[in-house]
Amino acid sequence: MNVELDALNEALKAVSSLRSCVGNFFLSLSQGVRSEHGEDHRETKYILELQDLVAEISSNMRKVEQTCSSIPLPPDGQINLGNTAHLAHETTQDRQALYSELVGSYKWTDKLHEISNITFGFLAQNVMKRSYNSYLNSSGMNAKRRRLTPSCHNVPISSVETVITAIDRQYQDMNMNVYRPHPSNCHNLQIQVSLGRILRAVISFRGMMIEWVKVKAYNEEFQTDNGQLGQLDLWTNSRHHVFRKITENANAAMLHFYSPTLPDLAVRSFMTWLHSFRSLFTDTCRRCGNHLLCAMPPTWRDFRTLEAFHEDCKP
Amino acid sequence: MGVTILLSYPVPENKTGPQTVDLLIKRIGALGAVQSGQFLVDCETFSSGPTMGGPPRTVHVLHNSEQPAAVFALLESPGPPPKTVPLVADGLFDLLMLKMSSIYASKKQTRMEARGTRFEIADFLVKIGTVTMSSNFKGVLVEVEYRPCFIAGNCWELMREFMQSFLGSVVQNTPPPYFQVHNRLNDVYQPLDTIQQYLDHFASYRKVAGL
Ligand SMILES: [Zn+2]
Repeated sequence: MNVELDALNEALKAVSSLRSCVGNFFLSLSQGVRSEHGEDHRETKYILELQDLVAEISSNMRKVEQTCSSIPLPPDGQINLGNTAHLAHETTQDRQALYSELVGSYKWTDKLHEISNITFGFLAQNVMKRSYNSYLNSSGMNAKRRRLTPSCHNVPISSVETVITAIDRQYQDMNMNVYRPHPSNCHNLQIQVSLGRILRAVISFRGMMIEWVKVKAYNEEFQTDNGQLGQLDLWTNSRHHVFRKITENANAAMLHFYSPTLPDLAVRSFMTWLHSFRSLFTDTCRRCGNHLLCAMPPTWRDFRTLEAFHEDCKP
Repeated sequence: MGVTILLSYPVPENKTGPQTVDLLIKRIGALGAVQSGQFLVDCETFSSGPTMGGPPRTVHVLHNSEQPAAVFALLESPGPPPKTVPLVADGLFDLLMLKMSSIYASKKQTRMEARGTRFEIADFLVKIGTVTMSSNFKGVLVEVEYRPCFIAGNCWELMREFMQSFLGSVVQNTPPPYFQVHNRLNDVYQPLDTIQQYLDHFASYRKVAGL
């Protein structure tokens, strides 16, 4: 069956290259003598070009014939298309297009199936769950008895503010402003971080847990236009590729550092990581030693060593 | 706006201006840049007549298609010490200059223009254009802007690497003189900085022409 398919694929490829070189021939024919042919002997050069194209067509034609003859014919003399073969017998005009659409959707579901399999395997290896329970369950302990309720989202706002003030004092070039978007909600807090003259970030907390991070350029605003005091814009993306990439990485870092048992350490580690972007535009990549790769600076920072890497160079 | 560096690209002896521009467009295209429209920077120079008294003064009026609503005027003050007084106004300023034609007369033959094509690649904005003085070809200018960064001192090395990748050894290893002379390496970059760089380049083209 596989040999059959390979031969069929070969033949189809040969047909398409034949079609493309016939296309080239007619293109050249329709354009006539062009400026590339220069001044002297332009007609002769043009005719030579056409002859080359014709020679190419005949060699491709030979290839098509060869590959066609190598396709083994199915025993009953027909290629079995299953039920879809009946579609070709459809007489109504507007249903005749159904076959190609059917093939398209078949390919699409096939691809979807493949991708979801890969995703499943990938997610199974990387535990991103924010609840402590799953670890306990998987280690075989009695879930009911040993269940600890994660409480870091329940920490009173004042102690979160204390931690943030301490971090703010620790870094001279990183300033933090605290906002309370919903004064009645005692667990929600947003902070706006300015890192040197490099970037700004908004970080949304639920208790001591970081919920959401958005990074933008130094001159991009987080204040919303409707003038509501204390409301920061958490949703609009940065205009710049580099900060959209850092936002993505910051969200990965936020999940990486998350710790249900030591919530304030998680926040500290995240802030240290974010602070390493103060040299975003001056760092060279640890691996390739350049500033730029695909016109982008190193946007990845190692979680442990804080070394800078390009997106495609990261370990 | 992000840090912008303006460079004059020397036209090789065996090539014409348009051929040089085509070559640069091919190189930036090979890096994966996408074309995104046209650009135009123009500069008209006015000088004061005898009615003002004192030594004649010069005003350069520039427009940049990147800031279409603004008019940039730079008054050269003879000093001492000599300095340039910049002014950013809206479109009405052009009409005002017309009204003052009895004091400030335009030197039509020195009107300069840089026009060409814009390209985008990641966060870089690259403009490649030709400079003309009263429609005579003068040279090729390349403008490179790195939009996420506002401090030239922070991103010079990165921009140098980018520019050398398609301009080669034309790019020096030290920041352009504009940033050093005016001590602008550690300040927030402004649209006026771009205008100043254009004016500097235009002035040197004029000097070559002996005007
Ligand atoms: Zn790298």
